[in-house]
Amino acid sequence: MIEIKGLSKCFGDLTAVDDINLSIPKGEFFVILGPNAAGKTTTIKVMAGLMKPTRGSVHICGHNIELDPLDARKRMAYLPDFPFLYDKLTPSEFFRFTGQLFGMDESDIKNESENLSDCFSLGDFLVKPIESLSHGTKQRVAIVSALMHAPEVFVLDEPMVGLDPHHARVLKDILRERADQGMTVFVSTHQLSVAEEMADRIGIMNQGKIVALGSHSELKAANRDSKLESIFLSLTTETDG
Amino acid sequence: MGDLKHISHWRLLFKVNQIQNWRRLKLAVSSSRLHAFLMGLFVVAYAWLAFELFRKGLQFTSSFPGLGPVLIERMIFLLFAFLFFLLLLSNVIINFTNLFRNRETHFLLTLPVAHKVIYRWKIFESGVLASWAFLFLIAPLVIAYGETYNASWDFYFVTPVFVGLFVVLPGIFGSWVALFLARWLGRLVFQIAAIFVVILVIVFISSWLQPEVVTDEMLETRVLDVVDRLLARTQFSLFPFLPSYWVSSGLTQWIEGAVMGAFFFGLVLLSHTLFFGYLAATRSGGLFFSSLSAVNSRGRKASLWSFLHNKESGRSAFEPKFLDRLANFFWWSKSDSRALIVKDILTFWRDTTQWGQSLVLLGLLVAYIMNLRYFSHRLTSDFWVDLTSYLNLGACALNLATLTTRFVFPQISLEGKRIWIIGMAPLGMRRTLMTKFLFSTVVSMIVTMALVGASCMMLSVKVDRMIYFTVAIGVMSFTLNALALGLGALYPNFREENPSKIVSGFGGTLCLVLSFIYIVGMVGLMAVTSFWAFGGSSSLTFGMGSLVFLFVSFFLGWLPLRKGIRRMATLEV
Repeated sequence: MIEIKGLSKCFGDLTAVDDINLSIPKGEFFVILGPNAAGKTTTIKVMAGLMKPTRGSVHICGHNIELDPLDARKRMAYLPDFPFLYDKLTPSEFFRFTGQLFGMDESDIKNESENLSDCFSLGDFLVKPIESLSHGTKQRVAIVSALMHAPEVFVLDEPMVGLDPHHARVLKDILRERADQGMTVFVSTHQLSVAEEMADRIGIMNQGKIVALGSHSELKAANRDSKLESIFLSLTTETDG
Repeated sequence: MGDLKHISHWRLLFKVNQIQNWRRLKLAVSSSRLHAFLMGLFVVAYAWLAFELFRKGLQFTSSFPGLGPVLIERMIFLLFAFLFFLLLLSNVIINFTNLFRNRETHFLLTLPVAHKVIYRWKIFESGVLASWAFLFLIAPLVIAYGETYNASWDFYFVTPVFVGLFVVLPGIFGSWVALFLARWLGRLVFQIAAIFVVILVIVFISSWLQPEVVTDEMLETRVLDVVDRLLARTQFSLFPFLPSYWVSSGLTQWIEGAVMGAFFFGLVLLSHTLFFGYLAATRSGGLFFSSLSAVNSRGRKASLWSFLHNKESGRSAFEPKFLDRLANFFWWSKSDSRALIVKDILTFWRDTTQWGQSLVLLGLLVAYIMNLRYFSHRLTSDFWVDLTSYLNLGACALNLATLTTRFVFPQISLEGKRIWIIGMAPLGMRRTLMTKFLFSTVVSMIVTMALVGASCMMLSVKVDRMIYFTVAIGVMSFTLNALALGLGALYPNFREENPSKIVSGFGGTLCLVLSFIYIVGMVGLMAVTSFWAFGGSSSLTFGMGSLVFLFVSFFLGWLPLRKGIRRMATLEV
């Protein structure tokens, strides 16, 4: 589903992402961890088609994001840490707009937005201007609009920021359910608990490279440590030095 | 979900943004009906006043047999030639921000919307933003032109078609220039190139606009020859490959009844618009994404001019820089106020778009001053000397109003989501606003008082009057800065990061309108009550006029500034 081959991204003299190779199969819940400036967001931006890689390639569902961006983006959804929303629209208008951009039928737009709005308790906010909503509610609107078209790949950058514990739980459950149904989930987060609880596999990035990759139990075995926090700290502070 | 339905993404984007803009307008009207009424009144009053002035001017010019029509025709060619270059520049600036720094653009790039559709949408949006004000400003002139020549009704239908086709071209060219600049020019190269280009333009204008030596004898006996020589300077507007030439030729021929000729130029315009429009709409998406990726991938350095001083690394990065050391000379001011000013200067210096626009304005001012010295030699009667000196004051003040609206008004809005940093600091919102006000006023005073002083010298104005004009512009600097900053605090737009868009909102427009009304009113008042100009008034009238000027200036600045300070003090971030 997601194939990253020899991906590097440089900003002038700085190499933010350094020769990453990663293959994430269909239905996998993958969590990428890393300290600040490790290269996670840059990797995600290249995956989302926001910038060209300096070297290497990213394939989404077999489509090269650089050469065949439309087919790749039709199959994926991307949720940035601070999503853009049209502030004068209402959530229901925004759902309709994004549904139409993805070529959804009217009935599909209605059904999907209704179901997901119920899950994320958006019923009272559907006809209010987005600009009047709180940060967390806006985040829920962005999540619903991303999930509506049933993407095959869902890339999320810090999705829990701004969500209350109840809706964070709802999001985790929906992501798990969708992953079980075949959606590939790629999450970047600083919350180690999310990785421990949800991830099928975890990647730890530091200074542009993936320094550890495997399931939670594999990482524990390889690092002879039972806590993900200790593993994370040992891997990311050693190379810092 | 099956195959995706074929829906025009461009139309969807148009619809969504149309809804957004309509709701913004409704909100602006409902939030303050008085302001909306004033704006409407200004629009109608400007259109009517400008139309009447242009009509009278054109009728006066056309009353000169033989010469009048030649001058009017050349004026139409010049109008569209300058409009073309202004639209080009405006489109470059707005496209640059709209294509590469816009959050909607980045959002759309992650959706299944083709790059060419995003590009098409953004250049349409930029084109509308860049052109509407220019078109509004020239509309009364074009209508007055038709009225002067008793044009039939069809002229008023053909003109929007011609102008509509015409504005597409600078829109497309401007977007391509923006793509090129973004793709190939880093910030440092751009800054150096911009300085170089402005110097080149100043040198070119000052050497090109040399005065024509015309003797009285020549004026008596060889009028046509003199006119020919003067018009030679405007020859560039007749360059047949300029789109402005096609639109001007089309309109002038239509009004003369040469419908086939006008039709020909209409087709030339249409074919070019279609050709370049097709290229932009279907073949520029890839270029756009390459440029955007280049902008997003560029190395970020705080100090681009670091080769001028020692490399900063590690702890040396915390050492005071040139600006900090300079600010320390103002030891009597508080350190937090100095820090705010240093921050504002650095932010401005590192924002290339702001920089580019300042350079253009500066270049125009320098060219203006340099040419005044040629102008003064031609003025022989006192009436013209006096009129020119007051017009010069008005021109300098209008320049200042442009600067305050463009750069001072968005100051508070540009703090954006970071407003809490200064909002929570011990500095407080009141002192923040006052510091910004004092700084912008002092800078404006230095620039405009020097400008008025220099221009008065160029015009050979007597010393006492020079001092009067210089003090007057100093007072106006206070008012215009207070007005811009006060209205900027009363109508902040923390969501928008593009200063051009902040300024084009309700508050910015109100600021520009009030500034212009104030300038026209006060310069008019000073001229009418002057005891030396236009026949001369009594000392009492002069004193009363000066008092009214001071009174209006003080209250027009103080009231919005006070209200702005109160608004900022209660602002919920």
